[in-house]
Amino acid sequence: MISVQNVYKQYGRTVALDGLSFEVEKGTTFGLLGPNGAGKTTLIGCLGGLLVPDRGTLSIQGRSDPSQIEVRRCLGVVPQFIALYEELTALQNLRLFARLHGLGGKALVQRVEACLEIALLTERAKDRVSEFSGGMKRRLNLACSLLHDPMVLLLDEPTVGVDPQSRNLIFESIERMKQEGKTLIYTTHYMEEAQRLCDHVAIMDAGKILADGTVPELIEQHGGSARIEARLHGDEDLIGPISRCLENNPTIHIEDRLLGFETRRPMADLTALYQAGIQLDSLTMESTNLEDVFLNLTGKKLRDS
Amino acid sequence: MKRIFHLAMKDIAVLMADKGNLFWVFGFPIVYALFFGAIFSGSQEGPSSMTLGIVDEDGSALSRQFVEELDSRETLEVVSFSREEALARVRKGTLSSALFLKPGFGDGLGGLFSGDRNIEMASDPARAMESGFLQGLIVQSLFEVVYKQFTDMDTIRSNLDLWREEIRNDVGSTLNTTIFLGFVDALQLMLEDVELDSADSALSGFNLSIPTVEVAGENKGPENSFQITFPQAMLWGILGCAATFAVSLVRERTVGTMLRLRICPISQAHILAGKGFACFITCLFVIVMLFLGGKFFFHVPINSVPLFFLAAVSITLCFVGIMMMVSTLGRTEQSVGGAGWAIMMVMSMIGGGMVPLVFMPEWLHPFSYASPVRWGIYALEGGIWRGFGFAEMLMPCGILLAIGAVCFVFGLWLMKRFHSVG
Repeated sequence: MISVQNVYKQYGRTVALDGLSFEVEKGTTFGLLGPNGAGKTTLIGCLGGLLVPDRGTLSIQGRSDPSQIEVRRCLGVVPQFIALYEELTALQNLRLFARLHGLGGKALVQRVEACLEIALLTERAKDRVSEFSGGMKRRLNLACSLLHDPMVLLLDEPTVGVDPQSRNLIFESIERMKQEGKTLIYTTHYMEEAQRLCDHVAIMDAGKILADGTVPELIEQHGGSARIEARLHGDEDLIGPISRCLENNPTIHIEDRLLGFETRRPMADLTALYQAGIQLDSLTMESTNLEDVFLNLTGKKLRDS
Repeated sequence: MKRIFHLAMKDIAVLMADKGNLFWVFGFPIVYALFFGAIFSGSQEGPSSMTLGIVDEDGSALSRQFVEELDSRETLEVVSFSREEALARVRKGTLSSALFLKPGFGDGLGGLFSGDRNIEMASDPARAMESGFLQGLIVQSLFEVVYKQFTDMDTIRSNLDLWREEIRNDVGSTLNTTIFLGFVDALQLMLEDVELDSADSALSGFNLSIPTVEVAGENKGPENSFQITFPQAMLWGILGCAATFAVSLVRERTVGTMLRLRICPISQAHILAGKGFACFITCLFVIVMLFLGGKFFFHVPINSVPLFFLAAVSITLCFVGIMMMVSTLGRTEQSVGGAGWAIMMVMSMIGGGMVPLVFMPEWLHPFSYASPVRWGIYALEGGIWRGFGFAEMLMPCGILLAIGAVCFVFGLWLMKRFHSVG
């Protein structure tokens, strides 16, 4: 569906994309998670046909040149910044972009109405965009990219600077598109978004993909160990059975009936403890997430980068 | 073509939404045409007078006659001063020129027929053009006075009596006195026989006014001042449009809407053509508005409507090309706006859009040929009142189209070279 092979892009001395390769299956949501400057927007630019890679090949739906008008007909791009005519109304913006996508007549009216509903802006359709809040602009920014009902959608940090209500609305729209079987590439530096929305995630930094896979795979491979703390039930000495259940995990520590250990497979270990009849009064687990994956891969935090 | 139309309509809608832009595109040209048209039409009803300071140190009959002659002119207001006061006023700039009639001015007819220059003039160097005009009027008045000396019989008799008196008083040479008195008596007898009308007719060729030859075809030149100011106003409107659209093109890049346009299934040529088409429509609209306003409210007669619109279309296409070039001269709205207005101002200044070409220094005239404003005004005037035929319109219109084409191609090249979106 989407194929990126060995793509390089350089601005002066700065290498923005350093030999990127990945493939996105039809109907999946592929997340690009990385800090600012990782090369995510440059990659979206190349996939959207706005930039030409210095080296490497790209293909979308079997076509190697994304700038071709045929590719653009099935491709939607949600830019990172608000790309709207603020002097015009929401309706005027939507109608313009619909017409530029070749829509007309009833189809235009229907799609414009549908997109206004997606953006929850039907009531404000005739208001100028300059009068909208940041969240409303973001929603309209997304809606303008959906007018032609594209099969492939490139979303470049679509939730930057929006309120929680608008963010949820955008998430719901994206989840609806996933259900409709659309192929999405979603860039973000919020790991919560990647974990919630993406079937497959690539961790990017300095123009390279450091790791990719499903979220559980990435956490398992690069997330490090989860920390579990539990209060044991009863007074008997359980160190022997617990050690056996946890396969002599060297991090096991018991003091005042408080059990603590680190594990890469917390659910499996807790299941083993349960099956061995070890009862717990309370349990806390610090599980790993994509933030830990990024930290382990780069030695720095996502937000600090 | 539909998409170009939609893009153009979008640009016009954006333009209409900005009141500041609207003023520069539509309001300013109307204000310009009305303001300067009103000023010039006022001057047509009766020319405003210039003040000339007079210092009559002679006090003779001839000097008084000369001052009266100057004062009788509509364009002159003569005010008497002392020498010191007149000089002080000229130095301060409150008086452009002062004329000094020195003692003895009347004796030699103002020094016209003698080597003694008993007439002097002091002028403000900063108002050289006005003082030059005044000199012309002074010389003309002097000739008028002299003309009367030779055509008015009473004046001649009075002069002959004066000469007799002077000859009699000259006791140095008795023989010469008799001869000269005889000559004066003979002269008087001869002049008494001369018919006054024939004397007048003999000198009637002595007239400094120059007859004018009609050069502007059937329209006989501009019939009202708005015929002059409306073409200039149209050019100002077009300059405003071109500057506004140049900035709007760079604004598309800076706010990101260009990126959104480029991800639509349209080519970059569509986008640029849409912008150019919007500029073209707006410029043409400005011209038509001013044309209609001029025709119906200010009764500006148009000699040839088809040729007027040929000029309008040529100018508009020219400035679409200029707009395209200007939009590539910077990366921000501020830099393009600044560069745009700077270029337009220079074009307007050297092209006669601000000050008529005749008032500009001679060395600047060749540069005006490079300004599309000059050719634009010339072409519009050709359609409005110069009475041009189609063949005569070809040169200004061709030059405008050529300038527009060169600027358009250069702008496209700069855009592809330095402003590729992404």
